[in-house]
Amino acid sequence: MMDIVQKMRNKAKELLEQEEVKLVIGWEKGTFWYQSPPMFITNPDDADRLVWDQFCINNLSKYLLDYKHLDGKIALFVKGCDARGINRLLQDQQINRDKLVILGVPCPGMKDAEAAKKAKENQVDQLPLAERCADCTTPNPMVFDELMADEVVVAEIDETKRFESVLQLEEKASDEKYDFWKSQYDKCIRCFACRNVCPACNCRECCFDLAEPEWLGKRVVTSENQFFALTRAMHVAGRCIECGECERVCPMDIPIMSLNKKIIKDINNLFGDYDAGMDLEDKPPLGKYDENDPEEFM
Amino acid sequence: MKILDKSKLKDLLNSLSGEAQVFAPVNEDDVIKFQPWTDGKEVDLSSNALLPPKDLLFPQTETMYRYTTKGMKAEVAEVAAGSEKQVIFAIRPCDVRSFLMMDDVFLTKGYEDDYYKNKRDNTILISLGCKDPEPTCFCDSMGIDKSESEHADIVMFDLGEQLALDAKTDAGKALLDSLSELEDGSADKPDTAECIIKVEPQGLAEKLAKMFEHPYWEELSRKCIGCGACTYLCPTCHCFDIRRKNVGEEGFQFRCWDSCMFSEYTRMAGGHNPRPSKKERVRNRFLHKLQYFPERYDKVACVGCGRCLAKCPVNMDITRIIKELGEVAVNE
Repeated sequence: MMDIVQKMRNKAKELLEQEEVKLVIGWEKGTFWYQSPPMFITNPDDADRLVWDQFCINNLSKYLLDYKHLDGKIALFVKGCDARGINRLLQDQQINRDKLVILGVPCPGMKDAEAAKKAKENQVDQLPLAERCADCTTPNPMVFDELMADEVVVAEIDETKRFESVLQLEEKASDEKYDFWKSQYDKCIRCFACRNVCPACNCRECCFDLAEPEWLGKRVVTSENQFFALTRAMHVAGRCIECGECERVCPMDIPIMSLNKKIIKDINNLFGDYDAGMDLEDKPPLGKYDENDPEEFM
Repeated sequence: MKILDKSKLKDLLNSLSGEAQVFAPVNEDDVIKFQPWTDGKEVDLSSNALLPPKDLLFPQTETMYRYTTKGMKAEVAEVAAGSEKQVIFAIRPCDVRSFLMMDDVFLTKGYEDDYYKNKRDNTILISLGCKDPEPTCFCDSMGIDKSESEHADIVMFDLGEQLALDAKTDAGKALLDSLSELEDGSADKPDTAECIIKVEPQGLAEKLAKMFEHPYWEELSRKCIGCGACTYLCPTCHCFDIRRKNVGEEGFQFRCWDSCMFSEYTRMAGGHNPRPSKKERVRNRFLHKLQYFPERYDKVACVGCGRCLAKCPVNMDITRIIKELGEVAVNE
């Protein structure tokens, strides 16, 4: 991985020195060895802090919304899931492709940082992959200007694993399902980390922030929390790229991806298989009309 | 000093429950939180609670009063502001210290907040000294003795198979004397490990007073995603909003936690927002903790519990920020 790191640093430095871009977004080492948080570089001398290791888990695509009006180009490093985020934002016409230099980094899968907390730095190889990476089918970026390394071999993934948590929940009786989600969302403190990190959540003004009309009441109680959970899940329906950032950032460990995956599974059953962000031309099933769409409810 | 065999911990909590509502750290759905104690729950003393106990004095959502309106008539009905006795069991020294800061906010400078005061006056604190701080802890640097807490009613030490309890106030002594599960005894305070992370926040406030327009804030704020995890997990953050909920002819006024990290926190009627971007909001959070609070109350509004450091999705690290703020050059 060191070769890749050097290549990334050289590339970032070159782009900034030649003034091709104003900003480079990548990862640097954080407080602990098992953290590689986002890094923003405007000075070429800082490029040497860039890293690429198995803790670069943050999806960087969302940050592009902060620089919509930047006068100049942005270069950013993307894993497969980050690239799907970029396609999503392009499809929603949130960002301009001409203003991006996309540097693809084929991803071997990120390690589970929670497991790393209990391990030592020289045990990285033995650490399990992060849950969301274990069943990843898109480690290689599908949109890029340049690749920083050779593409990785895509592992054969057992499709049933992808929806394992959904299948388990579907087996429960209605009351059990309700009890499960009630206890999970009763934990929610409404920090909005899930929304803020999500590349599918890109409304200029979020309905949860509106004071008038006040769709979401500010009381942190069962009914408001459930309204928040369901509204957000339905709003990203068909647009969730399964990067799993919402679940990773949730301080209360709410299994948000099980909710998202349930909706993905239902959409696949209703409208045919669809993977958000894979293909720029392939519009989200709930965002387009097709005369063959099912209409049993009519 | 009294000694409790850990096998009798549940009996002790059951006895305490006869006198007051007991709150103890319980792991439920992978989150350790101070929960109302009922027989059958398991106390988790393995690490500090993820959610600070501040909501026991300052709930995340609290009804203030109810009202009815009919035609031109309106009536207001007071809501009792929580005056039942409560015991917070196994609160850590950092969180006890945070209560002193909440006291500053809610009880001093000429106004006492009844909602807070009624709960504070009826709360007994049984603190548990820490032996092995987490890698994210830095309470040493905030002047906290993690082995015991001078502001708790009872301090407790973990002796392995037993707990040692020592009363620090009259209320604490009376409570200990009333509990039959305890035996008289003595024990040495166990050794405590030092925190790995060290910071020096002392004297920073003066420098920060000259740093409002410093470019550091812009750089610092870039990676922040503007969520409220840090503020809601922080034991000293105390901002709130007051709202109303109307249903037909009835309604109620409530207050709930708010976060300076949210854009609508400073949004004014008419739509103007004096803190329009992440830069202003991040700057406010750290200036509040490290400059405004020290200026007003002579305390840094951080107890080194490390919750924000442990849970921030993008590793905004207050200890690193304190170091960087100390080093950054300021034009006089």
